[in-house]
Amino acid sequence: MQVEVVNLRKQFGATQAVREASFSFAAGQVVGFVGPNGAGKTTTMRILATLDEPTSGDALIDGVSVVEEPERARGLVGYVPDSLPTHRDMSVHEYLDFFARAYQLRGSRREQVVESVEAFTNLTGIRDKMLVALSKGMKQRVSLARALLHDPPVLIMDEPAAALDPRARIELRELLRALSSQGKAILISSHILTELAEICHAAVIIEQGRILMAGTMDDLLAHSTPHRTVLIRVLDRPERLHRELLETPGIERASFAGNEIAAEVTGGDEACAALLAALIGRGHPIIEFKQQRANLEEVFMNVTKGAVQ
Amino acid sequence: MTAESVWSDRLNPIVVKELRQAVQSRFVVAALLTLLVIQLAAMGLYLLTGAGSILDFSAGRNAFMMLYAILLAVSLIFVPFYTAVRLAAERSDSNVDLLFITTIKPRGIIAGKMAAAFVLTLLIFSACMPFLTFTYFLRGIDLSSIFAALGFGFVLVLGCTQLAVLLACLPMNRAFKTMLGVAALIMLSGLYIGILSWIGRVLYGSPAAVDEFAKVMTVLLLIIAFLGGLFFAISVAAIMPVAANRARVVRLFVTGAWVLIGLTAAIDSQVEKHHGAVMGWQILFNIVFSASLLAAVSERDHPGPRVLRAVPQSPLKRALAFLFFSGSANGLAWTVTMISLTLGLAWGWARLFPGRNGYWDLAGSVKWLGGMSLFFFCYALSGALLRRHLLKRIETQWTWVISAALMLLGIILPATIGYLLFSGEKWWTEDLGPWFVGNPFAWGVKNHRNLYASVAGVWAVLAAALTLPWFLERAREFYERPAMKE
Repeated sequence: MQVEVVNLRKQFGATQAVREASFSFAAGQVVGFVGPNGAGKTTTMRILATLDEPTSGDALIDGVSVVEEPERARGLVGYVPDSLPTHRDMSVHEYLDFFARAYQLRGSRREQVVESVEAFTNLTGIRDKMLVALSKGMKQRVSLARALLHDPPVLIMDEPAAALDPRARIELRELLRALSSQGKAILISSHILTELAEICHAAVIIEQGRILMAGTMDDLLAHSTPHRTVLIRVLDRPERLHRELLETPGIERASFAGNEIAAEVTGGDEACAALLAALIGRGHPIIEFKQQRANLEEVFMNVTKGAVQ
Repeated sequence: MTAESVWSDRLNPIVVKELRQAVQSRFVVAALLTLLVIQLAAMGLYLLTGAGSILDFSAGRNAFMMLYAILLAVSLIFVPFYTAVRLAAERSDSNVDLLFITTIKPRGIIAGKMAAAFVLTLLIFSACMPFLTFTYFLRGIDLSSIFAALGFGFVLVLGCTQLAVLLACLPMNRAFKTMLGVAALIMLSGLYIGILSWIGRVLYGSPAAVDEFAKVMTVLLLIIAFLGGLFFAISVAAIMPVAANRARVVRLFVTGAWVLIGLTAAIDSQVEKHHGAVMGWQILFNIVFSASLLAAVSERDHPGPRVLRAVPQSPLKRALAFLFFSGSANGLAWTVTMISLTLGLAWGWARLFPGRNGYWDLAGSVKWLGGMSLFFFCYALSGALLRRHLLKRIETQWTWVISAALMLLGIILPATIGYLLFSGEKWWTEDLGPWFVGNPFAWGVKNHRNLYASVAGVWAVLAAALTLPWFLERAREFYERPAMKE
């Protein structure tokens, strides 16, 4: 199962919302879709969900084109919009039953599916509650449950963590992990980058409709920062190590606090390994040597310029 | 699986949802109970005050008219308002969008809403029916009149609900929708008074009204059926995603209705030896097609890939499909074809049977409506040319506003110039006709038709010539596009 976005372009009048966007992701991957407001995230997601039509380009979901065969593509995608369910006079169960009927699930099969989705999203206890009486976190779970009714292999989620309290966010994260382990491909947009970094295997960064960067988290972190920061803890004499590090070629910067020294190493894993070998060879009593990973926020700030259309 | 669950599975999900919500809605329950209390109170007061004495042979009629007026007023306001407000609220967020990624079709959404409105109306009418049929025992009204009036009222409520659904579906902001809703309410009030007075005249035995009853009823039901169908088709098109072939459903419906009503009118003309029905047909459809010209120029310039993927492969089918596919050029081709056919057929029918009653009326109406359509053509094309060449920042969907503004200018400007320059002259007050030259609705002024025709003719040729390269380019794109999977 593969989702491929190929040269996607969407124009609204004179505004180019999405410009030749291309990226792909596969089953079991959770992919963060990151970009400032107005970057083209929602437009791209709506195209993937077959709600909008691209001006040119295409998106293939398991080889099915959203342009040529939107009816088939719909069966493969579950879409969670950024708005929450607002139906009045309707309970959680009635809402899910309605959408299950809309997906042509019949008789006992429908009841079975609705009940299992309610159980998976932890809605069984509140199934008879009215939608208007639910908190945002619960509504978000209902929205996710609705998107799962037809068991789609791909989930498109637009800002699902927006306005959720910490507990609801943790619950959502757990649900996404469970879905990912079931082999679903998940594209999720969010402004809360720390949240994304924890659950995403890969990320796509978009700005002004252009894809600036796409790849696994490791690739993104490696490519967006030219150096690595290593944290070295020694048993004693940290000032000696600090001095030596400042004289070592390939070390950009070094600082120490207590027995811990932070050094910026130019190059990749090989440079770090060579440095460790050299330090041990020189007899430094090293008790810990670890790479400090750049986070998604740093990558995002390095890559984007904050421009909007 | 039980029969009930099989039946429940077959129902449109929208109907199930709407009825569940209606049952749980305090508003619906309160409205129904209030109506019943009012009916009961009105009937009780009528009987207690002695107005319903057994010596009064019109007591049943009076009581029926009173209860019928209450039922119609409540149903005509409540059912359309309830259905439309709910749909408009759903449309204002992503609820309707979410339905499009299920297997429900836009047609199913509108049909579901209307089916739920049907059941709600049925519930209201059934609840009130005992009171209304009771009036039979008060004398002065027969059961067939009671049921005919109830049946007509029922159809009328559904027709008005369909109009309300259309307003709710239109992609406009809340303020504009409210304005349209108020306009519809005013129109509805007029309709309500008109229908009540007509039914009153029939029940109280006005000879003309009784004689014409069947004919008027048939014509009214036909009009409600046509407008209801048209509003249904436009509602479906309005909630379809922009990328869909939205125009097809409307054009197919109008073309079908044009053929059916045209055939009925021709048969009526043969039987009655009168051109009245054919004249009604050509007036109705020329008005519809003239309005369609403004809609056509506001359609998308380039149909998207999802529309074009359904273009048939056979050249003949492709030529026919051009008329029915979404797109501005396609819309223009369809409307101009239909206007020409309507005028040509009506004119031909009149010439074929010159001795029949109503010949001069039919011939006159063809000239009048033909002139009106010609002016609409000029304004629509001029608006589109202006948008394409000078007002490029305005989106295509607003072209009709430019055309309508031009039309308003065309109506007001010549008369204003004439007034400012010549208001002191004697001839000005004697003949205002020439100053209506830009007014599409002035073709009834027979002695200046040559002037109007000359101006509109030259203007139409110029506008068409300037539009032709754009039109041919669109047609070429459509014909040369390789067909995708059908």
